[in-house]
Amino acid sequence: MRFTLTDDQREIQRTARDLLANRSSFEKVRAAAEQGPDEALWRELCELGWPGIAVAEAHGGQGLGAVELAVLLEELGYACAATPFLGTVLAAAAIEHAGSDAQRERWLPGLAAGELRGALGAPGELMPDAPGANVVVVVDLAQRTAAVADADAVEPVQTIDPTRRYGRAPAGGEPLEGDAGPAIDRALVAVSAELVGLAQRALDMSVEYVKERKQFGVPVGTFQAVQHRAAQMLLDVEGGRSAALYAAWTADADPQRLPLAAAMAKAWASDAGRSATASAIQLHGGIGFTWEADVHWLFKRAQLDSAFLGAGAAHRARVTALTRPT
Amino acid sequence: MDLSYTERERAFRDELREWLAANPPGERPQGEEADYAWRRDWQRRLHEGGWAGVHWPVEYGGRGASLMETAIFFEELGRARAPLPANVLGLLLGGPTLMVWGTEEQKDRYLPPILSAQEIWCQGFSEPDAGSDLAALKTRARRDGDGWVVSGQKVWTSGAQFSKWCMLVARTDPDVPKHKGLTYFLMDMEQEAVQVRPLVQITGEADFNELFVEEARIPDENVIGGVGNGWKVALTTLMNERAGLGFFLQVRLRQLLDELVEQAAASGALDDPRVADRLGDLHVRTEILRLTAYRGLSAIEQYGQPGPEGSLVKWLWSDTNQMLTQLAADVVGPEALTAGRPWAYELLRARGNSIEGGTTEILKNIVAERVLGLPRAR
Ligand SMILES: Cc1cc2nc3c(=O)[nH]c(=O)nc-3n(C[C@H](O)[C@H](O)[C@H](O)COP(=O)(O)OP(=O)(O)OC[C@H]3O[C@@H](n4cnc5c(N)ncnc54)[C@H](O)[C@@H]3O)c2cc1C
Repeated sequence: MRFTLTDDQREIQRTARDLLANRSSFEKVRAAAEQGPDEALWRELCELGWPGIAVAEAHGGQGLGAVELAVLLEELGYACAATPFLGTVLAAAAIEHAGSDAQRERWLPGLAAGELRGALGAPGELMPDAPGANVVVVVDLAQRTAAVADADAVEPVQTIDPTRRYGRAPAGGEPLEGDAGPAIDRALVAVSAELVGLAQRALDMSVEYVKERKQFGVPVGTFQAVQHRAAQMLLDVEGGRSAALYAAWTADADPQRLPLAAAMAKAWASDAGRSATASAIQLHGGIGFTWEADVHWLFKRAQLDSAFLGAGAAHRARVTALTRPT
Repeated sequence: MDLSYTERERAFRDELREWLAANPPGERPQGEEADYAWRRDWQRRLHEGGWAGVHWPVEYGGRGASLMETAIFFEELGRARAPLPANVLGLLLGGPTLMVWGTEEQKDRYLPPILSAQEIWCQGFSEPDAGSDLAALKTRARRDGDGWVVSGQKVWTSGAQFSKWCMLVARTDPDVPKHKGLTYFLMDMEQEAVQVRPLVQITGEADFNELFVEEARIPDENVIGGVGNGWKVALTTLMNERAGLGFFLQVRLRQLLDELVEQAAASGALDDPRVADRLGDLHVRTEILRLTAYRGLSAIEQYGQPGPEGSLVKWLWSDTNQMLTQLAADVVGPEALTAGRPWAYELLRARGNSIEGGTTEILKNIVAERVLGLPRAR
């Protein structure tokens, strides 16, 4: 066993981090919050083939796996990037893993290339990237079924996270004939990875700030109350990363373990994302409560991600149900 | 100890209820300016009815209500869904500080317009480099004839855009240890030398501000509590902020909790034992907060001002409000994360609770050092 990224995976991570540091600064995020998704960035990601990273080569993707996808999503979360990436890869995963051959042929190449945009979510709930999506997958979390809904029926909703577009879609549509369970679980893993990235950014910004900010003649990072909060954030982040990477690995390598692993990842990441980003505001003091300090973007995105497909309590209950002695 | 209402207290409550029924506060309007105007009007009506300063002594234009009556007052206001009065900082912080430290002239001059909301007050304590370490503040006041000339910068000043008077703490003697060289002033906000720049909060609103003070003039008679005594006077204000305001805010917390329970019952979420557990916890916390706030009022009665225990109330309040608004995101659904909706606003606004009026970390330090007598960390 070796629980580290391979050289290739690390290369993907590094490339993503560098690219996004350049192209998705908070300045860009702020602009996107006012003007809508960053189309230039999205085009660039499409040229790099990111939307198809986990899609089979036969369908126009890169044929890599859920781990590589998780690596990218963590970086996109870290940058709080304003692109329709999440919705597109979730829709692609649903069609690839629950769709018929005909459905795959119809939608996957477009989604993998980023020519089609996608979204996935439960009907009536807030669905990331739904406005403007061409392929809108609605999932029934209890029945574990999925269908492609009428994209025109999406009703946009302005949420507290203006860096991404959200909408609500009605139930029904063209059913995906397969078991949607794995697709839903893959979605949980993907959004957990994004939450880990958001929390990591919150931690990095906070550590940097408390080293610089002086009160009582010393950096506030000198105080144990501050240190312990930062340490807690690290536990939040690293725990989430362990769970998300493990779950991503099971998706391709050991699918039987995916449902429990995905529920674990989302249970932890939902709470960790909320609490780490809230801690970042706290550690920044009054500045953290201002619009211009940028930490609030992380908090807001984490709130939406955390609620998406069920927050912590729902997934803890599922963990218990899945581990119940028989 | 007797926690039941006396005949007199019941009569007080009935009279207040009758008045509130005849004078409903109405619905909160949209937009900051309109909201503020509504709160100002509300305070005027309270004042006309003789209810603005219930807890203030009669000699200062208050109703001279007992502490229990004051508690009843806040709770009834909460039940009537009344907003915070526009001059909340004057009523709960500034007035009580003047009563302790002000001269007779100052009390006569400043207390009545606080009650009537004719003159709004703000609190100019924090500076860019002096937040938790308030005593490090650099705003400088130097003597000039029979007055003072003040220059410096304040930040996070809530309501400055509406205020006539600023409770300003400035350094009058840079050559003595930092707590000793401070003086507490009342600064007139209506002068060219004071510029107010709004700061946008994570809610998208601009309730607080930066103050740029450039050679502002303050006459000598606006020194509160004596030159060089500013730290002590500021502490009186801060303790009132943590205890007095805490009492008002616990009522608001109760309103929010009732609303959430109602919504959870209507949607069926209340039948989910996980939700029931968390709502039950919030009920217990909110009640304990209320009971502790009552005890705090008794402390004010006994010692004339709130003690450091007020820190517990403010800490418990901010924790509980943050838990409550976060739970709403789980229980209420999309509505709670939709921009501009009340729950979404509360969720974001609650993040400031553990920062404003002293951060939770600082409050815990105070409790450890001043209540428990533990040695200072450094
Ligand atoms: C909504 C809101 C309204 C406000 N309104 C007003 C107002 O009207 N008037 C006014 O004067 N001020 C106001 N403030 C300012 C508020 O009092 C300060 O923000 C607060 O005291 C913290 O100071 P700071 O922002 O400089 O944070 P810092 O002091 O820089 O704190 C940064 C972090 O370090 C921690 N820290 C600092 N020192 C210690 C220590 N010794 N031990 C442990 N941890 C420590 C803090 O807890 C925090 O997490 C308001 C703030 C907010 C958020």
